[in-house]
Amino acid sequence: MYKYDTYDHQMVRERIAEFRDQVERRIDGRLTEDQFKPLRLMNGVYLQLHAYMLRVAIPYGTMNSAQLRVLGRIAREYDKGYGHFTTRTNIQYNWPALTDIPDILDELAAVEMHAIQTSGNCIRNVTTDPFAGAAADELEDGRPWAEIIRQWSTFHPEFTFLPRKFKIAVNGASEDRAGLRVHDIGLQLVKNEAGETGFEVWVGGGQGRTPRLGHRIRDFLEPRDLLSYLTAILRVYNQHGRRDNLYKARIKMLVEAIGPEEFARQTEAEWDEIRDSNLVLPAEEIARIRAFFDEPPAATGSAIPATGRADFAAWLRRNRRDHKVEGLSSVVISLKPIGGTPGDITDVQLEAVADLAEKFGFDEARATPDQNLVLPHVRNSDLEAVFDGLVAAGLATANAGLATDIVACPGLDYCALANARSIPIAQSISNLIEAEGLSDQVGDVTIKIDGCINACGHHHVAHIGVLGVDKRGEEFYQITLGGNFGKDASIGNIVGKGLAGEDVPAAIVRALNTYLEIRNEKERFIDTLRRVGPDAFKESIYAAA
Amino acid sequence: MKTITANRLTDGRVIYRTAEGEWTEDLARAERLADDATAEARLAEAEAEPAIAVGPYLIEIEDDAPGGQKWRREGIRLTGPTTGSTKTVNASRKAA
Amino acid sequence: MLQLDRKTVTREVSNAQIEAGGGTIVEIDGDTPWQEAATQISGAVQVDIRFPSFKDGRGFSLATLLRERAGYTGRLRAVGDLIPDQAQFLHRVGFDDVAPDRTDLDADWARARARFTHAYQPAQDRVTPIFGQRTATPKDDLAALNARYRGADAIDILRDAIRNEWTGRIAILSSFGAEAAVGLHMISQVAPDTPVIFLDTGRLFAQTEQYQRALTDQLGLTNIRMVRPQAEEAMAEDPDDKLWQRDPDACCALRKVRPLDNVIGDYDALITGRKRFHGGERMALPVVERLDGRIRVNPLASWSAQQVTDYFQRYDLPRHPLSDMGYASIGCWPCTAPVQDDDDVRAGRWSGRSKTECGIHTPSRIAAE
Repeated sequence: MYKYDTYDHQMVRERIAEFRDQVERRIDGRLTEDQFKPLRLMNGVYLQLHAYMLRVAIPYGTMNSAQLRVLGRIAREYDKGYGHFTTRTNIQYNWPALTDIPDILDELAAVEMHAIQTSGNCIRNVTTDPFAGAAADELEDGRPWAEIIRQWSTFHPEFTFLPRKFKIAVNGASEDRAGLRVHDIGLQLVKNEAGETGFEVWVGGGQGRTPRLGHRIRDFLEPRDLLSYLTAILRVYNQHGRRDNLYKARIKMLVEAIGPEEFARQTEAEWDEIRDSNLVLPAEEIARIRAFFDEPPAATGSAIPATGRADFAAWLRRNRRDHKVEGLSSVVISLKPIGGTPGDITDVQLEAVADLAEKFGFDEARATPDQNLVLPHVRNSDLEAVFDGLVAAGLATANAGLATDIVACPGLDYCALANARSIPIAQSISNLIEAEGLSDQVGDVTIKIDGCINACGHHHVAHIGVLGVDKRGEEFYQITLGGNFGKDASIGNIVGKGLAGEDVPAAIVRALNTYLEIRNEKERFIDTLRRVGPDAFKESIYAAA
Repeated sequence: MKTITANRLTDGRVIYRTAEGEWTEDLARAERLADDATAEARLAEAEAEPAIAVGPYLIEIEDDAPGGQKWRREGIRLTGPTTGSTKTVNASRKAA
Repeated sequence: MLQLDRKTVTREVSNAQIEAGGGTIVEIDGDTPWQEAATQISGAVQVDIRFPSFKDGRGFSLATLLRERAGYTGRLRAVGDLIPDQAQFLHRVGFDDVAPDRTDLDADWARARARFTHAYQPAQDRVTPIFGQRTATPKDDLAALNARYRGADAIDILRDAIRNEWTGRIAILSSFGAEAAVGLHMISQVAPDTPVIFLDTGRLFAQTEQYQRALTDQLGLTNIRMVRPQAEEAMAEDPDDKLWQRDPDACCALRKVRPLDNVIGDYDALITGRKRFHGGERMALPVVERLDGRIRVNPLASWSAQQVTDYFQRYDLPRHPLSDMGYASIGCWPCTAPVQDDDDVRAGRWSGRSKTECGIHTPSRIAAE
């Protein structure tokens, strides 16, 4: 894991002093709310329905036990005893006072964390595969590159007042668990014919009001050129991205307006001017950062334990993943208890995960885009102890990747932008699927729910998406089908008119039953849907109960 | 009937404006504004207090509760999230 | 208007040209394509880039490209709806000055300008980015330090020296004389708790003592270290208070050099306000030098008299009461005289003698000769 040096520490400390000063100036009137808002957002501070919300960065989703404990303490001391993991692998607190936030940032800084650029029209927290450094299908760990980008993008003097927010993801595995094609820039690690590692560059993806999949604008970029190439892309965007219309300001709209070929041409022309500038990454610095991300040693002779315990066996089947190192596994800690709030975790649970990560997980945990946690490195001989620890903490739900592993944005229960609630819908879908006993039969399927078109809950890329809308004071929910997150990414299509909230769970259960009726053997939900098309599912969704 | 609401600058909590120009967390104590001209005038006063209240705006009140098209949003602002307490739900998982 | 103190020489040239009526000032909008802007500004000595809103970041790219691609070296000023929190970004992309719509926040602008010690990415301010510093030569390499500080603004040098290079082991030496307010004001922006060593020789003008108290108060400096000669030594060596007349070097040794030696062990580096325009030995003054094993940092070495004057005006700093009476450099009352307009600023120090330095800035073996 990356360790701060004195430069990184000083940067974060100076940032806190700056924010403390900004809060003071807002309160005494030297800053107006209009001026303060973008500044607080760039420190992760939103003003939501009931209170301020603080979004803490978890760079590329990686945390150690000391950090988890501080996250737990913050939940207890400054909030109402819980936090919420997001689809961009950050954690949010829903109730902090503005005047406490500088102190919270101090607590975070002590364990090398911050809230820098977790919101605002700037380059946001860089995400990667939650199984980076562990996944059996990995070519190279994406995290060193994500860290290099984190540093380069922090307080970038030219790119801090962009037309709109800007999200970068790096993926180093053959499966895409980072969602490259729905990011402003997606970087896929690849090897060229000479066997050298480099990046495939994708630009112009994004969700929100007008979801778009990114376009590949370069097949191979040498690592030394990473920062100059990113600079070229951002410079073209900063100058030509639209600023007159909030809804057309993302880079995807610029790429669409001028075409990916023209966007690539402008980027390459700008890059030609700066590729040999002082933006070239020194090999020593690349090596220095890479050295922080070592793989754990092999645990030879340690096989997956055979067990007579049904609960442990079920959990192993659903929540364990293969590891690239012999004798190790990765495990998913589901934050989707049946009927709970997706992504929420209590102070005590954060501390329990910290203990397990420290004792059995080489002191590492990850946050995932599905709002779950992962212990990336666990010895197979420790799996049962981990499971027991999770059971004791109420974190052993064996549903990773199943229909009850629902992703949901905070929605109208918290968010000032939302039009409809999403968490209660997720809760009732989860409860009904559990009551019907459908989860295990249906197997892999993704259900994602949004309370507005900004799509923080990623409904566009869910097999079954749910989008809340408001019609004259009443909540309605549109169902989308056929979205997918990953290598074969796709955007879901709306099946028809919106449903009332109380009708959504039954409609989804009917769609899942339709799948069970018409699937071929070993076909996943998305495969069946792609094979037969949406009509049968659509019919079941609108079938009267 | 209308009233003025905002979020308190220092802690973000939901507040309403009283007839005396004070801010309160108690909707029952908030001023009821019957005509639009008075409502706009009061809103202008509230907007002149950026050191206390962030983004004041008018909401509809029916039967002493938030009404109109934004009744649900304003109802949630008044009484809190409808999701159940994560502390309770997640803790009960542990017991089970 | 707040100035960002960048590329001083260029600005002096521009100022002179503007005053002489030569050269034009061109204002361009932040959304102008840089190629078009480059044709509009040919022959300009000052370019103003207008920001319609502080949230519109196009001007940051435009400034970068005018500097980097179009090779514009004249004065560059940001005007419009800008906020203090953007000071460092503006400076880093190549602006010399800023003229924000709201004009009553100079103190906030100055503080914001001094906020961050390092930067992660290279930009127009030529600061070595962190990834470059990590692979750079060891800290105590004078040549490397001087190379790093070459062309850097005084406040950036001070910030780096205090917060990074000699953290907790650095002090500023101040006479609270005619120009002292400049360095002390910068200290107040960077770290007001930096130790300020003040040599109270027992022969100071009453006005200096007064000025010391007033300035300390106004700038909020919290760590003044008064250093005085040892009472017994003073009794033994200067019983009649006439040592300054008989042997000024011995007097300086008693009242300045040795008292400073007694406290200097607490620090690895001392900041001074010496400047090359003071003349004499100071004409070759480097920004960082080593003296008897200790570092002296001279962030203002390259400053001109005009820059000092401008700085006093910009931040509305109080002048030493004797400045108005013709004293350009102020030491102890017996050995300081006013100067004529065309004299060197230090001509009034030990006037009529060959002595030009008191000895605190001179290597000990030379001072002893």
